[in-house]
Amino acid sequence: MTSIDVHHLTKEYGTRRAVDDLTFGVAPGRVTGFLGPNGAGKSTTLRLVLGLDRPTSGTATVGGRPYAAYAEPLRQVGALLDAQAAHGSRTARDHLRALAVSNRIASRRVDEVLEEAGLTAVAHKRIKTFSLGMRQRLGIAAALLGDPAVVLLDEPSNGLDPEGIIWIRALMRGLAREGRTVLVSSHLMNETATFADHLVVLGRGRLLADTSMRDFIAAHSTRRVRARTSDPARLRTALARAGHTLEDAGDGRWTVEGARAEDIGALAAHEGVPLLELADEEASLEEAYLALTAEAAEFSAPGTAAAPAEPPVPASTHRPEA
Amino acid sequence: MSTTAVLHAEWIKIKSLRGTLLPLLAVFGATLAVTVLAFATVGRAEADNADAEPVFDAFYALNFGQIAALGFGTTAVSSEYVTGALRISLAAVPRRGLFYAAKTAVVGAAALLVGLATSFAAFLAGQAFLGEHAIGLGHPGALRACVGGGLYLALMALLATGLTTLLRSGVAVLSLLIPFLLIVSFVVGDVAGGAAQFLPDRAGQQILHEDPAGALGAWQGLAVTAAWTAAALLAGWWALRRRDA
Repeated sequence: MTSIDVHHLTKEYGTRRAVDDLTFGVAPGRVTGFLGPNGAGKSTTLRLVLGLDRPTSGTATVGGRPYAAYAEPLRQVGALLDAQAAHGSRTARDHLRALAVSNRIASRRVDEVLEEAGLTAVAHKRIKTFSLGMRQRLGIAAALLGDPAVVLLDEPSNGLDPEGIIWIRALMRGLAREGRTVLVSSHLMNETATFADHLVVLGRGRLLADTSMRDFIAAHSTRRVRARTSDPARLRTALARAGHTLEDAGDGRWTVEGARAEDIGALAAHEGVPLLELADEEASLEEAYLALTAEAAEFSAPGTAAAPAEPPVPASTHRPEA
Repeated sequence: MSTTAVLHAEWIKIKSLRGTLLPLLAVFGATLAVTVLAFATVGRAEADNADAEPVFDAFYALNFGQIAALGFGTTAVSSEYVTGALRISLAAVPRRGLFYAAKTAVVGAAALLVGLATSFAAFLAGQAFLGEHAIGLGHPGALRACVGGGLYLALMALLATGLTTLLRSGVAVLSLLIPFLLIVSFVVGDVAGGAAQFLPDRAGQQILHEDPAGALGAWQGLAVTAAWTAAALLAGWWALRRRDA
């Protein structure tokens, strides 16, 4: 059982608090999306987990031990932090070979991960000739080198083409299915929604949510019904009587906020208003995320960043009183 | 972690970077080229001078080789800082003491091997042009100068390694060290006795003299250079251990 445990982790750069008393766990066997606006502390947290930066206070462990305590850490934890970090003048293969040798990883793994990342043809090319997408693939290859139980990826789909995005999505889901711990930071909500099972959301260095994707969307979105009718005027009157508002969504479609399809269906049937279409609208992760982070987004100047972030807004306050 | 594995990885990193490998080869190449050029043209005339110093003069081209040695020691470390590759390196080898010791050892060993080959080759190549003025390795101080010259080049490479780790920038180190060696020490050093003879290059080059003048003997001078290098390496270690990567 190799989980990541972050416990009361705090990191200050001068007076700026990049990570503020953060506590969460990342469990194996699922993909955990690590979300938050720019400057929320995601990358800092990943660096703290890897022992690259020293925490001001608190701890971060992998499998119960600090990262630096592992004799050959690449065999336990694979990480992609910054695809641009690899030295441009080295060939892809030499870059991976130096990493493999330092952790006594068999050199055939180098060729295996190059193959897996689709880089075999450019293995002997210098990294500076690579596109961002190819560098990203190389960074992912490096993360997989030691066949690790824990995989940390910071914005892995950056610069990837559509095929690459499908590849990385399948890869992450596959790693989780094999029982590995997968933590993936991203700022792309629709993208994250396609691969994450669980979410850890940061805002201003603080934990805003640590919950399953399904619960997160349910808790941070309003209900909405989408309808089409041949008689909007009568539907509007009927709804108004029940305290609902019919809003024009354009294109002959109408929406009702804060209602469920069964309520509207029953109401319309009772009033004899013809409905051509009626459905509950699923809120997207993006909408849920924006609702949560609207007030926590970091627009403040450095120095005020240490001010307490808004606590997560309870979902109920989003819903109009029925 | 396995020390051998980390040493091997550091060697791969050096040898797979043209920018690091070239200065290392240039230590040998530049020294030898300048030696051949100088001795083939003005070698005999110089050797005929009344104030000629056959052992020291044989290592004239080491002034060029040492610039390459500084370049090698600098780029071996600055390659970790230009793109942020240090984070990748430290994620693979999180024990920073081991990482730094391995890098220092590989830089030192490579520079020493190339340095020794360079000083012996330069000495022998130069003498080949001198005819009746030529001296052999049996000449007093000649063998000591050849061995010392190799050590001196290795110490200069390591001085740059320590300083680059401290300053995290190859440009900063080279623009500090090269003018310092070429101008301050080269020009001022000849004039001033006193403190100048304790500068890393002046002190270390005492070993190239058959009969060193001044306060420092041959090995004493090299020891002073070694102290400068040790101080730079310790400063680099202090910085690497303390800083966030």
